[in-house]
Amino acid sequence: MTVTVWISRDAGALALGAEATAQKLLAAAQAAGTAIRLRRNGSRGLYWLEPLLEVECAAGRIAYGPVTAKDVPGLIDKGLLRGEAHPLRLGPIEAHPWFASQQRLTFARVGRIDPLDLDDYIAQGGFRGLRRALEIGSAATVNEVLESGLRGRGGAAFPTGIKWQTVLKQPAGQRYITCNADEGDSGTFSDRMLMEGDPFSVIEGMIIAGVAVGATRGYIYLRVEYPHAYQVMNAAISAARKAAYLGTDVCGSKHAFDIELRLGAGAYICGEETSMLESLEGRRGEIRVRPPLPAEKGLFGAPTVVNNVVTLATVPVVLAQGAAAYRDFGQAKSRGTLPLQLAGNVLRGGLIERAFGLTVRELLYDYGGGSASGRPIRAVQIGGPLGAYLPESQFDTPLEYEALSAIGAMLGHGGVVAFDDTVDMLEMAKYAMEFCAIESCGKCTPCRIGSVRGAEALGKIARGINPEGNCSLVEELCDTMLQASLCGLGGMAPYPVLSAMKHFKEDFAKRTAAS
Amino acid sequence: MNVERLVAMVNDIAAFFASEPDADAAAEQVAYHLQKFWEPRMRSEIQRCLEQGGVGLSPLARRGVERL
Amino acid sequence: MYSIDHKDLGTPAPASTGTVTLDIDGSTVTVPAGTSVMRAVALAGGHIPKLCATDSLKAFGSCRVCLVEIEGRKGFPASCTTEVAAGMKVRTQSPRIQKLRRGVVELYVSDHPLDCDTCPANGHCELQDAAAELGVEGSRYANGGASQRGVKQDASNPYFVFNPDLCIVCSRCVRACDETQGTLALTIEGRGFSSRVSASQHQPFLESECVSCGACVEACPTAALTEKLPLMLGAPTKAVSTTCGYCGVGCSLKAEVKEETVVRMVPNRAGTANKGHACVKGRFAFGYATHADRVRRPMIRKRITDPWREVSWEEAISYTASEFKRIQQKYGPNSVGGITSSRCTNEETFLVQKLVRAALGTNNVDTCARVCHSATGYGLKHTLGESAGTQAFTSVMKADVVMLIGANPTDGHPVFASQLKRRLRQGATLIVIDPRVIDLVRTPHIEAAAHLQLRPGTNVAVINALAHVVVTEGLANDAYAEERCEGDTYRKWKAFVSDARNSPEAMEAISGVPAALVRKAARMYAAGPNSAIYYGLGVTEHSQGTTMVMGIANIAMATGNLGREGVGVSPLRGQNNVQGACDMGSFPHEFSGYRHVSDAATRSLFEGAWNATLASEPGLRIPNMFEAALDGSFRALYIQGEDFVHSDPNTNHVVAALSAMECVVVQDLFLIETARYAHVFLPGSSFLEKDGTFTNAERRISRVRKVMEPLAGLADWEVTMQLAQALGYPMHYSHPSEIMDEIARLTPTFHGVTYEKLERLGSIQWPCNDAAPDGTPTMHVGAFVRGKGKFYLTEYIATSERSTSRFPLLLTTGRVLYQYNVGTQTRRTANLAWQEEDRLDIHPDDAEDRGIADGDWVGVTSRTGDMVMRAVVSRRMTPGVVYTTFHFPESGVNLVTTENSDWATNCPEYKVTAVEVVRVGQPEAWQARIRAERGAQRSPALPTACSHRDEC
Repeated sequence: MTVTVWISRDAGALALGAEATAQKLLAAAQAAGTAIRLRRNGSRGLYWLEPLLEVECAAGRIAYGPVTAKDVPGLIDKGLLRGEAHPLRLGPIEAHPWFASQQRLTFARVGRIDPLDLDDYIAQGGFRGLRRALEIGSAATVNEVLESGLRGRGGAAFPTGIKWQTVLKQPAGQRYITCNADEGDSGTFSDRMLMEGDPFSVIEGMIIAGVAVGATRGYIYLRVEYPHAYQVMNAAISAARKAAYLGTDVCGSKHAFDIELRLGAGAYICGEETSMLESLEGRRGEIRVRPPLPAEKGLFGAPTVVNNVVTLATVPVVLAQGAAAYRDFGQAKSRGTLPLQLAGNVLRGGLIERAFGLTVRELLYDYGGGSASGRPIRAVQIGGPLGAYLPESQFDTPLEYEALSAIGAMLGHGGVVAFDDTVDMLEMAKYAMEFCAIESCGKCTPCRIGSVRGAEALGKIARGINPEGNCSLVEELCDTMLQASLCGLGGMAPYPVLSAMKHFKEDFAKRTAAS
Repeated sequence: MNVERLVAMVNDIAAFFASEPDADAAAEQVAYHLQKFWEPRMRSEIQRCLEQGGVGLSPLARRGVERL
Repeated sequence: MYSIDHKDLGTPAPASTGTVTLDIDGSTVTVPAGTSVMRAVALAGGHIPKLCATDSLKAFGSCRVCLVEIEGRKGFPASCTTEVAAGMKVRTQSPRIQKLRRGVVELYVSDHPLDCDTCPANGHCELQDAAAELGVEGSRYANGGASQRGVKQDASNPYFVFNPDLCIVCSRCVRACDETQGTLALTIEGRGFSSRVSASQHQPFLESECVSCGACVEACPTAALTEKLPLMLGAPTKAVSTTCGYCGVGCSLKAEVKEETVVRMVPNRAGTANKGHACVKGRFAFGYATHADRVRRPMIRKRITDPWREVSWEEAISYTASEFKRIQQKYGPNSVGGITSSRCTNEETFLVQKLVRAALGTNNVDTCARVCHSATGYGLKHTLGESAGTQAFTSVMKADVVMLIGANPTDGHPVFASQLKRRLRQGATLIVIDPRVIDLVRTPHIEAAAHLQLRPGTNVAVINALAHVVVTEGLANDAYAEERCEGDTYRKWKAFVSDARNSPEAMEAISGVPAALVRKAARMYAAGPNSAIYYGLGVTEHSQGTTMVMGIANIAMATGNLGREGVGVSPLRGQNNVQGACDMGSFPHEFSGYRHVSDAATRSLFEGAWNATLASEPGLRIPNMFEAALDGSFRALYIQGEDFVHSDPNTNHVVAALSAMECVVVQDLFLIETARYAHVFLPGSSFLEKDGTFTNAERRISRVRKVMEPLAGLADWEVTMQLAQALGYPMHYSHPSEIMDEIARLTPTFHGVTYEKLERLGSIQWPCNDAAPDGTPTMHVGAFVRGKGKFYLTEYIATSERSTSRFPLLLTTGRVLYQYNVGTQTRRTANLAWQEEDRLDIHPDDAEDRGIADGDWVGVTSRTGDMVMRAVVSRRMTPGVVYTTFHFPESGVNLVTTENSDWATNCPEYKVTAVEVVRVGQPEAWQARIRAERGAQRSPALPTACSHRDEC
């Protein structure tokens, strides 16, 4: 009898040795004369358990992890292929408390299916959203998305339905759907996991968007640093085209829609929507002034939907299950679920999809299990490199848009990075400016010059040069950057700096005293 | 005046008007053009040429010059 | 920096109707809808500091100095990128705003030299102004911080320097290269703090794709891009508005002068023809006007083999007059003639033809338009009723399809090309009909939808094939044609073009253009809805030049593409005043306004006004004059501003004719080639030295204004006047405006033109009369000038000039961006840095067959003569066709061209000469000699702008 074994082809799992484990398993099974069917899935998101291996047996998919190549022979000897006991045996992964407590909607299929198996996708509810959208038509689809309360998961949290509505209202003519897959925030990986683990959901979301706003062409703008996602997405697009989900007659509906995958060239700024459009047009990735909004004049001057990967992959859920069902998750103005990405100095990092409202502390400790180093967690940065640093005193803040905004922080793309008490927050502040300087497109002056001067001034503080003067200069500079920058890069780089200066005064005061 | 050159010129003019199906009208148009755009000594030169046999003149050119 | 007398409003005027009322700092202000807050503030007399904004470029929003507060809006919007809205309350000044602006300017200053006193931009630097206004004296960040300074300046361009240390990365230059010029040669290289302006792939400007139009220099807010001449001569003190003396685009320019020296030339943003743009010639190549080669005193000699003798004006004039009188007495009144110049003003050409007709009593007057656009005049007059283009340049912005025939605007008409490119980048379709792959066939962000790369000499075959498709596929606009045109000629034409012999398939063998491509192009043109034809000398300079012009008019009439904006038939005129020279009665058969000399009423009008008896027979055309000279019946010629020996075909023939004359008078700026055969040389005056008007290709009459005294003491019109006087025919004009008054009186299409009106309106497109007091941008609206449009049958007739086994290649000619026509002017400027000789472009296959490598000397032989030049092996060419320019006399291109000419107008067939090309070791001895002479002459003028100075 052939045993089916699942090992992830997710880039995170591969980085942890999943490929070696897989090869070893095949070799060992062959040596042992056992026929196995090795299937490759996305990651379940429990990265501290990768490489994770699941064996299909009577009791279900029994997980083992982390399984390195050298663990394989021993495991096989111990009856791995029959799901037998072993210190690495985890049982059915979906019963694992870390997993079971999640509310996986967008990530429902990730890790469960072979990402490129269209039948798997359909069997697990794929294209139900699209069929419904085709049934109810354009305006009702837009309305459904509007009603669901879905907000852009890329970071800006703009209501997706309103964006679509704006595009729909534009005068007739060419329109575009663009998928922003330039996931550049440090500590974030949900877009990547989705594209590698359930690419059809992104494609389905884009088709629905196309049907909804009357666009016939979509572009995915993918960062060049995601080669695995590139392969999977491309293969998925081909498969969808072959199966007539893409092309001149989507699902026999007479709607035309096709997708082209474009690679970025490594610029963080191209994750900003207008820069992304510039880059897609073959220009230098540089901010465009708004207005006009991309929904009015976007790609090649045509009305354009720009949505993040997670947003688009969530759309099929909204359509399949209905706006109300989705809306039931979450709280206040943050509806639905958010795939949080927990990283940094934590014991158990990974992907946690939960309804909005989980507190920072719950995330860090219930899921994260505290710091990996065993030392107290001193600070977390939420929302990427431009997000504010939260001190321990703010750990009870619920993870939702307005609550974070109220304390001067932001949820962004849902990345959470933890630091223990050895962190030097002055260095972190300086890093924020340096990051901004490296990634600045150079168009506006506060960002182009300000970030460099900010890093320099913080460096002077670190070296004990006129700390008071430089501290107030940095504050003044942050004000200039906040108020005068053209886009969120220069306009948000002050958040980590100012929050560090505010909540971790001592790290700046130290130097003041040293002078 | 270089008669050969004048003959070539009037032939060129006649060639343009040759697409006029009415032969008389075509000849008239050639003559009219010469009248309007040729300086008198050129016209008399080409007439003299015609008198001496009009060597090289195309049939329509000849008919045009005849009408001067 | 833009012109010294310009107040920058920050952003361009919106293209909107309607107004918006808002509140700015407590005052109620009403501005056009779509205006930026920045512009609204400026219009209201206020001021917001800015660095990246300028009113010639779209708002960019990068400098962040122009922030304002707007009630009800978050943060501090940039005033340049924020549109006004009804009821908006704007605050332009507050301590908070000032603090932010200071914060930003301090960042700029943290990496910018502070030695303003020694900076060339001192006093007109926008960063300096902003810092002063905001009280920023230095930067707290400056000490030891990162810096982009210390980069060597790039002085490679002869006219301007780029000093990266002074650059504030506002992208104004990059945007100007994109939006204003459309070349996209400049870019921002690097990212973030490392962002730097770069020409092409980090090349020196001269080696880059930069075409030196200067728009970037004008846009620069600091001294990062600075013209060299003001650096040497000092800042200008006043600006005089005038019109460019180069091509037929007729750009309005502001000559900025210091005392009597032109220091800068900047395009006038109020100029309707050029909308604030210029090219390398108009903006920079004016140094010839004060070049050491300028002849400043009249000269005479008995025989052309004698040395010149400098004489007084009086002596030169009276000598000339006595010679003309003597010759007329001896050989008859028609033994003399005159040539008006397309380089001179309307008033001057008018006077020359008046002198010939009234003072000399002959109609032997012609003009250099004979050799360029005479076919246009004839063709359009006969079909549409007026010898001129039908549109204003701006019309192209409403065209959906542009068919470009035998024209190379990026080189020949660069400022129009920029506008055309703008339209093409907006999505208009381009069809190119040209034997060569001209730039527009494929250039950044532009690609022709169809390139009909026809064999030289087969234009008519192609236009007939296009018409065949239009008619036989039912794409013609019958309703329009039947209503607006003579129905019988239309139907006759339809039957003619429908004949199978005119089908694309039948014509393919003749033209070499694939039938399918012709069909595609015809369908695109017919589909429009607005289809416009622009054409150049590639249409007119053929044995069937007039036929082709008629063919163009036919297809435009048949598809209803005349009589509104966005369509039309537009000849791109080569010279600044070729339209004007034609309008002014320079042709031997007609008075001003294209009225035949045989028309008794017109003649009596002029006879009355001029108090003279006028001849009723047409006079000699230029080539006829040469023939008449050779047979001894034509003995004296007054030539104002034309270099026959260089420009006219079959040089040997021209030389023989001139040598046979007894009195050749040349009036010119320089001792041109023709002066070698002259008996009298009268120093001419450049366009900077006189008042007058030019008429450009869109019939636009624009003022030329004097900015310096004539170097030889007299303007050209004054010389003609004195000559008339000496001939016993006094003329009394104290100013060219009085000549224009006379033109207006005597010319119906000019009835409403006065200098006062030109002053008021800036420029006027004729017809300007009681029916159209402000002029006529678009012609033939509602009805054709002719009444009903007339179709002509345009049978394709092959030129007698065909390739043979002896002369297997076809030579065609054109011009390059940096040189101008016979090069008399541009060869005396630093434009030589780009091109200092004519070269022969040849396809790699033809080159290989002949063992020719790039840069080799080649001999070019035709049945008329031969020349030697260097070869450029180029895929712009199609096999079997070679190409050259005619800017340099030592090339002797016209030794090779033939006397073949257009059947109707004798416009020479410059575009088709059968030749053979062989590799040779070196240039001919005579060429080497001229080269050496020229080298000696020009060495002081190179390599930089010192050529502009008198004393060089």
